[in-house]
Amino acid sequence: MIQALVFLPLIAAIIAGLGGRWIGKIAAKSITTGALFASCALAWPIFISFLNGTASSHVAHVLNFIHSGALNVDWALRVDALTAVMLVVVTTVSALVHLYSWGYMAEDESQPRFFAYLSLFTFAMLMLVTADSLVQMFFGWEGVGLASYLLIGFWYHKPSAGAAAIKAFIVNRVGDFGFSLGIFGCFLVFGTVSIPKILEMTPGMAGATIGFLGMRVDVITLLCILLFIGACGKSAQLGLHTWLPDAMEGPTPVSALIHAATMVTAGVFMVCRLSPLFAASPTASSVVTYVGAATAFFAATVGTTQTDIKRVIAYSTCSQLGYMFFAAGVGAYNAAMFHLFTHAFFKALLFLGAGAVIHAMHHEQDMRFYGGLRKKIPFTFAAMIAGTLAITGVGIAGLFGFAGFYSKDAIIEATYASNLPAGGFAFVVSVVAALLTSFYSWRLIFLTFFGKARWSGSEHIQHAAHGHDAHGNDDHHHPTPYADMHDDGTAGYLPHEAPFSMLIPLLVLTMGAVFSGFIFTGNFIDPEAGSRFWQGSIAFNAGLMDAREHVPWLVSKSATIVMLIGLFTAWWAYIRKPDVPAKFTAQFSMLYQFLLNKWYFDELYDLIFVRPAMWIGRLLWHRGDEKTIDRFGPNGVAEIVGMGSRLAVRFQSGYLATYALVMLLGLCAAVSWFVFGGAK
Amino acid sequence: MSYLDSLALTAPELILSLGATFLMLVAAWGGDKATRTISWGAVALFAAAGASLAGPAGHGGSAFFGLYTADAFGAFAKSLIYLAAAICVIIAPRWFEVNERNRAEYPVLILLAATGMGMMVSATDLLTLYVGLELNSLASYVLASMAQKDGRAAEAGLKYFVLGALASGILLYGISLLYGFTGSTHYVDIAHEMGGSAGMGALFGMVFVLAGLSFKVSAVPFHMWTPDVYEGAPTPVTCLFASAPKVAAMALLVRVSMVALGPATHQWQQIIAFAALASIILGAAGAIGQTNIKRLLAYSSINNVGFMLIGLAAGTREGVAAVLFYLTVYVVTVLGSFLAVLQLRDRQGKPVEAIAALAGLSQSRKGLAAALAVFMFSLAGIPPLFGFWPKLLVFQAAIDAHLLPLAIIGFVASVIGAFYYIKIVKIMYFDDAADMISPDNGLVERWTMALAAMLLVVGYVLIPWLGAASAQATGALF
Amino acid sequence: MIALAAFYLFASVMIAAAAFTILSRNPVHSVLWLILAFFNAAGLMVLAGAEFVAMLLVIVYVGAVAVLFLFVVMMLNIDLAEVRSGFTRYGLFGAAIAAVLATEVVVADEAWHSGALMLGARQAVTPDNMPNIQALGALLYTRYLYVFEGAGLVLLVAMIGAIVLTHRERSGVRPQKIGDQVKRRPSEAVRIVSDQPVGAGVEL
Repeated sequence: MIQALVFLPLIAAIIAGLGGRWIGKIAAKSITTGALFASCALAWPIFISFLNGTASSHVAHVLNFIHSGALNVDWALRVDALTAVMLVVVTTVSALVHLYSWGYMAEDESQPRFFAYLSLFTFAMLMLVTADSLVQMFFGWEGVGLASYLLIGFWYHKPSAGAAAIKAFIVNRVGDFGFSLGIFGCFLVFGTVSIPKILEMTPGMAGATIGFLGMRVDVITLLCILLFIGACGKSAQLGLHTWLPDAMEGPTPVSALIHAATMVTAGVFMVCRLSPLFAASPTASSVVTYVGAATAFFAATVGTTQTDIKRVIAYSTCSQLGYMFFAAGVGAYNAAMFHLFTHAFFKALLFLGAGAVIHAMHHEQDMRFYGGLRKKIPFTFAAMIAGTLAITGVGIAGLFGFAGFYSKDAIIEATYASNLPAGGFAFVVSVVAALLTSFYSWRLIFLTFFGKARWSGSEHIQHAAHGHDAHGNDDHHHPTPYADMHDDGTAGYLPHEAPFSMLIPLLVLTMGAVFSGFIFTGNFIDPEAGSRFWQGSIAFNAGLMDAREHVPWLVSKSATIVMLIGLFTAWWAYIRKPDVPAKFTAQFSMLYQFLLNKWYFDELYDLIFVRPAMWIGRLLWHRGDEKTIDRFGPNGVAEIVGMGSRLAVRFQSGYLATYALVMLLGLCAAVSWFVFGGAK
Repeated sequence: MSYLDSLALTAPELILSLGATFLMLVAAWGGDKATRTISWGAVALFAAAGASLAGPAGHGGSAFFGLYTADAFGAFAKSLIYLAAAICVIIAPRWFEVNERNRAEYPVLILLAATGMGMMVSATDLLTLYVGLELNSLASYVLASMAQKDGRAAEAGLKYFVLGALASGILLYGISLLYGFTGSTHYVDIAHEMGGSAGMGALFGMVFVLAGLSFKVSAVPFHMWTPDVYEGAPTPVTCLFASAPKVAAMALLVRVSMVALGPATHQWQQIIAFAALASIILGAAGAIGQTNIKRLLAYSSINNVGFMLIGLAAGTREGVAAVLFYLTVYVVTVLGSFLAVLQLRDRQGKPVEAIAALAGLSQSRKGLAAALAVFMFSLAGIPPLFGFWPKLLVFQAAIDAHLLPLAIIGFVASVIGAFYYIKIVKIMYFDDAADMISPDNGLVERWTMALAAMLLVVGYVLIPWLGAASAQATGALF
Repeated sequence: MIALAAFYLFASVMIAAAAFTILSRNPVHSVLWLILAFFNAAGLMVLAGAEFVAMLLVIVYVGAVAVLFLFVVMMLNIDLAEVRSGFTRYGLFGAAIAAVLATEVVVADEAWHSGALMLGARQAVTPDNMPNIQALGALLYTRYLYVFEGAGLVLLVAMIGAIVLTHRERSGVRPQKIGDQVKRRPSEAVRIVSDQPVGAGVEL
């Protein structure tokens, strides 16, 4: 059952990837999409059985993998409540994204490749979430990294896509280095890489120290921080976040699946999977809290200034991941997972909605060239509104709320209730970030769907309106309804609603964004129902969940209050007085530039890491490799061999006397060796 | 021990020599028209000689006052020799029909040469060694120049003869020195004396004997004749030179080194190790510039002999077993390669020997190109193929005998060797078609070649069996 | 004393003759020098008590082999200039190698005690009173039978080889067909024409 769930996408990926050329586009797409829907259909009953409490965690052995000394690793699929949540998230979003891609990628030439990559990614992600050992988790971890690399660079003929893919890969390598050190450390300390065994032995290791970089450090803290570095890389936390916005170079369905709903949450999943380990180290938990909070704040500030619709959502993702991390940091692992769960739905919805907008606007991604779209594409507008209501956390306690209302409020309250120094910091940051979230989310909606049409200035639209001479990947052939120029800001271009294959996923995800919080809040968050649901698959802190329900009134309503403030500010700035933003940016140009340039992280990294690395690389390349290793190594040896060959051939003169002479010389040398040499 | 018992132990040589004289009579009356009949008769004799190894001739022990020993080691080498020689008899008529005329003496000479080889591998006395070696050599000189229309063949025969005579002289001088300083020509007695108080004189004799034998295995620096003779001799004869006498000479060298010169292992080890490395490196380097495939295979055989000598240089039981293992795989590979070369013919049916003519062979003759590629990869020692294992074994033996530098240099040099083997594959598969090779309908050649290629591909299933056989054969020497 | 003097005489003359065999420019002279070397070798054999071998040397080598060489050398037209050019090209080097080898043999003998010659410990001992030729025969046909037969095979190969390499079928020659000649009957060869009239001519 679980084997079929995990391996169906792999089989589909192999068929579509290797056989796509023979079976054709339609078959490749059908097989992959069908496999994913089948996986999804298998995943939901598992999740529901855990909700009912009728299932318990178990491990399905698949194959032997490594047995060497004390190192024993097998391919095994672990199913428990935590995995079940992830299974549902991954398969559902993936299946919907597959379906969505039928419409979005309809005119691309290498669709089988695209669908194969998507399915391959899904397989790797499923391996990751079902991992019973750190090694298998690492396999999945690298597998999703690979798929992410391939998909970001899917339009490899665009230099920016190639660069973004490489950037994602290299930045993730930094995180993976930490992760692999963490795995090695676990094997060193615990003598095993099996996750259940490690968690079992964790209490016994409390307080033990280990030598690292010449210092004595706490074992658990060290391991947690190393593993957390891995999580930071994959989940784009502050410091290793720079790849995520650039990853938006990939096709939008990819952004929705990989860079919003699933892969980037792998870090959060890993922390939750190892939650007993993290819970055993307050220091490491504080680090997780601070980093998460800083990311949430940083990404939210940057999100307010971006003009590219996908980048706004990307920074929003980064910020929400920060939420999940500091929730985990204060011990509310279930809240983190709940937010992961709801976030998957509404963020995928927002991305796919943005994709529909981009599709409608002929691959124009700059929000400054949107405006007034709510009447042109009403269905997409409705879906985006639902997503925005969910992410900003709209709802009335006790009655009904959108998905984010439950999960985000739970996190904010848990940070307050944790009574930790880091928790206090996180609480303040989370409230501020919620304000900013509300602001940039509504800014996106207002800029895109309200006001007047502004797309006459867009190059993409002008292309669309004046024929399709010079098109790259984005060949959408629209009829040109009005050839003459209009002065209403439309340039004669009429945006159109997306096809059904794209609207159905939007509809399903809208359901998720609206109801997923309301339906599942009890199982995820409630002190009693939660502990029944999680069954010990994460460190479930019932006391904290209980305390969360008794925080002061102002605290529990803070999220709603700042949400309203953000909404009002955005409305005021972009609807009521559209000239305010310009004035504001002029007034505070320093701050604006700082935010617009993403706190200058890329420039800083370029200066500190990239340039010196390139310099060293060039040095080693020219001086080290070409002029030393190649010269004395392969090239030199080849030269010597060539010389030796010529020499050997010259001796082979064909003259008998020469041959006899060589023989006698050899004999003479052998005898001399015996007489004068040391052959005694 | 009566003479009759002794004769029973030398059954293979008896069968071959008596059969050869009989077939000579058939040839005298039947003339060249009877060549095919005589050939199959010779093959039957080889089969009979091989079968006789199952009897006392395979393990009977010492005969003729210690001049001759019938043991498992000899039987192992002889079965290889007879197999190779029989194949060289079978493949000859078609070649001679096209290029020359059939010679009824050809199978007879090969029978007599094989008799000499049998004497060589079973010799436990320097006299037997020398007579056997001369019998084999003399027949080889004649065989090398059997193609009367080709000037190169006469040149090859003459060169082989003169240099062979020089080597014989060196060998004979060494034998007389050994006899003089140890008082015996018998291996065991020589070993006894060498282990005791043998001085420099006996060591001198040893050096000369080893030098003379190195000529037969064509180890550097006594290899100079090899490329010229291989190129000039008729291809079936070259095939013989590269296979059967190599086995005989190598087995002979092993037996002399281990049994007669065993106590001086430390001394000859250095000579053999040097010859091994020089052969590997020169064989590899020399092959690179070659344009004639027979010449290339000559360098390849020098190269392979070097690897075998590494196993001998180890001077251990494992090393000798590795040599036997190597010999077996080498014989299969080299026979297959020459069978492939035999099938290279142009439109007029004339043999093609230029490497450049192989270009694009993968399109015109898929099976032949695939088989040749298998042989080349096997010679290069690419792992799944059989050629990899004996190389591994000799290196292992050298390392176990604390000859690490030898193993490392040999290992590195094998990379150079891989270059020209794989170059052939590259020419066949990636170069533009020269379209010079036309289809050939030699069924026997084709199927024997296919069998050899199959053996190399799936040979690893034979490893336990061959390993056990070579270990058992080696056991007879220790 | 006389034996010792004779040994040194024979030995030194033999070495000198061998050297002149190689050094002589004229191949006929070389063969003559070779014959001298054989004679001296025979003398040495006589001194060592191997009379049969001495006789064999004189009869077989001097009488047959050397004379054969002489014929061959005289019949072949050898270009002396070419031989000399080869000599100057490799002679010096060859001489150097020979000198080194000779020195090493001597040096090794002197400095390292090459070990005693073990002629007394020979393997195949014959009764003391047995004549030389008889002893040789006894050994060859008993103890060394196998090798002796092997040597016979070597000679067989040499014979076959000589024929194979030199015998060719030539076209355009009319060899004798002895069988046909013997089978020939008068009826095929002769016709009686005696009862023909005179003056009618002859039928050819």
